Amino acid sequence: MNAAGRLSAAVLGAGLIGIDLTTKIMRSDYLDLRLVAGRDAANSGLWQAARLGLPVAAGGITSLVEVDDPFDVVFDATVASAHAEHAEKLSVLGTMLIDLTPSRLGQMIIPTVNRADICSHRDVSMVSCGGQASVPILHAIAKAHEIDYIEVVTTAATLSVGRGTRLNLDEYVGTTKEAVRYFTGVNDVKAILNISPARPPATFRVAMTLIGQDLTLDSVLPLVTGVASELRSFVGGFDVKACTVNDDKAFISVEVTSSGDRIPKYAGNLDIINATAIHVAECYAADRLSMAGLKMS
Amino acid sequence: MTEETSQDVVQGREIQIHDPSLRDGHHAVRHNLGADQLRAYAQAANAAGIPVVEVGHGNGLGASSLQVGRARLTDDEMLTVVREALTESKLGVFLLPGWATIDDIKNAIARGVDLIRIGVHCTEGDLAERHLGYLRDEGVDAHGVLLMSHMASPEKLAEECARLVGFGATGVGILDSSGHFLPSDVTERIAAMRAAVDVPVMFHGHNNLGMAVANSIAAAEAGADILDACARGFGAGAGNTQLEVLVPVLERLGYRTGIDLYRLLDAADLAERELMPAPPTIDSLSIVSGLAGVFSGFKNRVLDISAREGVDPRDVFFELGRRQAVAGQEDLIVDVALALRGARAEESHDGQ
Repeated sequence: MNAAGRLSAAVLGAGLIGIDLTTKIMRSDYLDLRLVAGRDAANSGLWQAARLGLPVAAGGITSLVEVDDPFDVVFDATVASAHAEHAEKLSVLGTMLIDLTPSRLGQMIIPTVNRADICSHRDVSMVSCGGQASVPILHAIAKAHEIDYIEVVTTAATLSVGRGTRLNLDEYVGTTKEAVRYFTGVNDVKAILNISPARPPATFRVAMTLIGQDLTLDSVLPLVTGVASELRSFVGGFDVKACTVNDDKAFISVEVTSSGDRIPKYAGNLDIINATAIHVAECYAADRLSMAGLKMS
Repeated sequence: MTEETSQDVVQGREIQIHDPSLRDGHHAVRHNLGADQLRAYAQAANAAGIPVVEVGHGNGLGASSLQVGRARLTDDEMLTVVREALTESKLGVFLLPGWATIDDIKNAIARGVDLIRIGVHCTEGDLAERHLGYLRDEGVDAHGVLLMSHMASPEKLAEECARLVGFGATGVGILDSSGHFLPSDVTERIAAMRAAVDVPVMFHGHNNLGMAVANSIAAAEAGADILDACARGFGAGAGNTQLEVLVPVLERLGYRTGIDLYRLLDAADLAERELMPAPPTIDSLSIVSGLAGVFSGFKNRVLDISAREGVDPRDVFFELGRRQAVAGQEDLIVDVALALRGARAEESHDGQ
């Protein structure tokens, strides 16, 4: 913690996600971004970070471990297969590790659902973009109804889906499905991912269908609008596009537009996971600071 | 066949017929075929000497869902029944990355599948990289096929096919998922693909504009090695290339298919009798979906949702085309129908 009462933070991974995160963290009142680490000094992401006036390093995880004063918070924006090693090396330092890869290793966090779990873990998973966009709504509906089946269909614009994600389609599907099961308690879940080539690019979108005999528009719509407004407090571009209930089926589609920064408006998939990761870090910071405050008084 | 063949230069060249009646036909009957139906047709196709018989949910392995319709049988039930029925023909399956995972592929291999087709939107070949790589390592015949191929230029399709081969595809092809092509479109595309790869090249036609057989012949003449066709054209919307028409037409042109004509006609008769309430026809909505360039498989969902929301299904198809909806994006239908209804309410309000 620094003198201004902010937590020290570092970003590991200088791809599209890492650089957008960097831009967003620089605006945080709770986080003091002290390092952006990649694995390749020639990476354009590291150059961009350096141009923003930030310290950069090309030693990957080693750059974060070999420091005198360990970071309070590290954002892992690398790949799923590398996360276990990062968690192992940082756990001994007491660092809070926020995982943006679909590794499924740490405690899954959906802030509107289990914010309280943040402080009791040191490796927290941001699940997936589709998980962050759907689980809050699905959780609210499942809590109030008897649900037999849930289906989540994500559509992302091809330009917003990098090589890592293209190679990890199975992990995306598996992680999203597991999160929906875990948070709703509904076992019969299907997750699907479509990549849209449309030009101009299609806005990031998640369509959800639930089957349950006690579903009505009067019971579902207020839950959906309530959760949407809660989400908008940290994901400004979250918007409900359709909400219908027919027979025993509820259908809800949402879109997320990016707030800008380093990514185009349609790339809400990148925006929602980054905005959520920062929100989680800030929740952690607020809890740490309030605890410190109590001790001092 | 005994009929004398033409003196065409193509004389004797072999075309492999790939029959997805039990997969694509599922779109026409809401994925509702039962085990007896699958068995009966698979036995008839096997007896006719059709080289490859494909089975599954219309959108392939793991696709049974509310998004595109739930299948009556599980993937395992379908594969087991058809595997048992095929003593000569190869068993094929289809799948879309993002829908089916490598676990589904492992399961299909364990159940005796001979050929796996990985389908991706025509500009997104790299979505198949991992699945094709896995199948190459397993030594399983795996073809990479490009959906909605009217949405990309011949050069782009050729480039994607070359990438698919690089990932491990042992064959490549294009699907005219919307039935949008005219024969000259097919000629250009297949010729470009043929020049770009040295593995078998496939064409899969839909009949929305009445062009499926003509397009398939154009593909053969441009160098395609594999043609897809279904009994009575059993498939989404206006149906696919009609198998029992295509085969004798190819033979008259001098191509060899190795298929027995009478047994092929018997299989087609059985398909009409046992698999479908009526053979597909080019109805008005199928013409619209072909013109709009939207996947034919959307038809039943568009009809259902348009009726519910009180909008014209033709408007829905043209709007889906404008939004460049691709196969699998059925969730857009509700949004489009609601938007059209909203726009109409606004117009009538303005008129008051």
